Amino acid sequence: MDFEEMEERIAQMMTGINRYNPENLMTLEMYVNMQCRENKYDLEANLAVLKLYQLNPMHFKKPVTALILLKALTNLPHSDFTLCKCLIDESYQMEEPITTILHIAKLLEMCKFKEFWVEVDEKASLFLDLKDFNNSIRKYICHVVSITYQQIDQVLLSDLLGSLTEMELQQWIKAMNWKEMPDGYIFINNQEENVKTKNITEKIGFDNVSSVMKLCRS
Amino acid sequence: MAYSGHDEVDPYAYDRSYHTGDPNQDFGYEQHYQPGKSYIVPEEIKNFLLFFQRSVSEGNVADISTCYEHDFNKLSERFFKNSPWPDAENIIQTVGNDQVFLILYKELFYRHIIARTQSGPTQEQRFESYYNYCNFFNYILNADGPVGLQLPDQWLWDIIDEFIYQFQDFCKYRSKIANKSDEEIAFLRTNPKIWNVHSVLNVLHSLVDKSNINAQLEMYGKGDDPDLLGGEFGRHPLYKMLGYFSLIGLLRLHSLLGDYYQAIKVLEYIELDKQTSYTQVPTCQVTTYYYVGFAYMMMRRYKDAIRSFSSILLYIQRTNYMVSTSGSYQIDVVKKMNDQIMNLLAICLVLHPMRIDEGLQAALSEKYGEKIQRMEKGEPQAFDDAFSYACPRFLSPVPPNYDDPNFNFHKEPFTLQVKVFMEEVEQQISIPTIRSFLKLYTTMPISKLSAFLDMSEDEFKTHLLCFKHKMNSLVWTKGTSGLEGEFQSGSEVDFYIDKEMVHIADTKVARRYGEFFIQQIHKFSELNKAMKTKQQLANEDFSGGQRF
Repeated sequence: MDFEEMEERIAQMMTGINRYNPENLMTLEMYVNMQCRENKYDLEANLAVLKLYQLNPMHFKKPVTALILLKALTNLPHSDFTLCKCLIDESYQMEEPITTILHIAKLLEMCKFKEFWVEVDEKASLFLDLKDFNNSIRKYICHVVSITYQQIDQVLLSDLLGSLTEMELQQWIKAMNWKEMPDGYIFINNQEENVKTKNITEKIGFDNVSSVMKLCRS
Repeated sequence: MAYSGHDEVDPYAYDRSYHTGDPNQDFGYEQHYQPGKSYIVPEEIKNFLLFFQRSVSEGNVADISTCYEHDFNKLSERFFKNSPWPDAENIIQTVGNDQVFLILYKELFYRHIIARTQSGPTQEQRFESYYNYCNFFNYILNADGPVGLQLPDQWLWDIIDEFIYQFQDFCKYRSKIANKSDEEIAFLRTNPKIWNVHSVLNVLHSLVDKSNINAQLEMYGKGDDPDLLGGEFGRHPLYKMLGYFSLIGLLRLHSLLGDYYQAIKVLEYIELDKQTSYTQVPTCQVTTYYYVGFAYMMMRRYKDAIRSFSSILLYIQRTNYMVSTSGSYQIDVVKKMNDQIMNLLAICLVLHPMRIDEGLQAALSEKYGEKIQRMEKGEPQAFDDAFSYACPRFLSPVPPNYDDPNFNFHKEPFTLQVKVFMEEVEQQISIPTIRSFLKLYTTMPISKLSAFLDMSEDEFKTHLLCFKHKMNSLVWTKGTSGLEGEFQSGSEVDFYIDKEMVHIADTKVARRYGEFFIQQIHKFSELNKAMKTKQQLANEDFSGGQRF
């Protein structure tokens, strides 16, 4: 079954009260693995898995939960990771590998990208089952850079993206529509147009004045 | 809620001067009732019940409304302040074996017990109340065609609201096994289906399906007649409104379970920006926007949360709800929620400063100024306090481990949600400080700013990225689905980095002179008027004095 077929089947499975049917778990867990293998993502289905774990604690599977959390990171800057966290019982959040994943999420959320790449290197085994995990995270990093910078130091950018080779860096710059400048900076975006000082001045409408004008007559 | 005229036209055949004025006699009624013993129903109660029953069977919604919202509470106050209403067996001799009326009566009977008993209802009462709700919903859902029953919207909303409340309360009760007898625990163990989360979800989903409410709302949103898609059941007001209220019930239930995505998702056909369009029940409105705003806040969609909170606070203010319905049983609910919403709004505005309605802003600063200051200074405890006070009462959907109270699958669900929220706050904690520095400049080299903040340049750049990331969130723009939106930076202070220089854009609000002047002009004119009348009076006095 290819991914699209599966996606449709799952969507049907999720309608109404059937979302809470524990018999769906097997299929849904398979679907999580499929998302990891094929670099696809379905937040709603994954939340349904966590929901079923919440309602049926004896069915809880830590490896699946870990995969769901890692997949949620690939959808940053959306707050999917937080949504997942709210459904995972606190006691599991104190167990490995969930604790490590929580730590990694915090680094990403706080934009400590350099530390993040060090951690990823050390815990490489965690990400083995996820296709293109690093590139998904790079997409998020590029997003944050693109809303923050007008021009960024090339060395810094390369560091943030996890020490890419010159070739890879060029590919990302091209994909993002950025421009290399002669002075060692990368031109990201013209921010002057997006980030402007707003002036809110008072507008006195006719209605405001009319009440005062009435007084003039008396 | 039109009570006007009610007092002139006496619809009942019983004496409506409630208190006899004789405390002994009034007190006597309360003493009469002893559980288990046969009980003689007072004449006035009998007449009330008969009138109530007739209104229900005739489908006279206005009269039912009066009985439900007004008279039941008045009579409770007078006869059953510290004791339950007579149980259903005792009223059969009055109303006969009218199953539908007895179910409705029991709904009020148990609700009254739950509201008035300090120590909470007994396990048996909880179970009985559950069965009564089952009977009610089965009666409505299992019928071949729409049942003939008609009830006021307020009562229908209260039924859904109370059903979830009692479930919530039961979960809390069940999780405390330390103070239960062996008998009680044995009974809980053998009856896992009672107040089971699946049953509760099932009821709400069934009502949604039966009423076709989503299809109806979709039609309504397009400006078409919802009746076209309602079907046989959905066209019937009872089903339609129960369907609508069940959606709000699901919003609440999902929120209580920490499932914020699903909470917003169930409302995907309700247009949240058009407020009172579908229902006029104020408690339902307030509940809706409280939970919607809360879910948005947990999703870090602060702008959406702030919009939801502000609009409902203005609604409460505009309808003057807290003043006009004083004395009603709903007022405490709205008062408490109003206060909780103010707290949540304060949290959101500290995390994501932006302009809101000026009146609200003034009310916030006046009442919560100190809390806000503590949060702005980055005191985690201040966030924790405000959140803990204002959050819903989260619940654990599964029974505890009856064999070993010390080993539970579930920790207190409340602590989990606080933890998640506090982790978010912790990630953002330095943003307000950085913002306060940025506000002072329009351009500034990174090296200087980082020195002011006592950070290394690298560290400061990381904080700036984090600032941008956290202040850039999904914001709803159009369509009915509240989950949709586009990324926006809507906060007050914004900036970008060009090479090694920070360029800052602030929101500057010019002082509002106009309003001030207009106010002063009015005051002056009032003063002027007052002086003129004084002078006139003085003149009259003077001339009067001359006459005699």
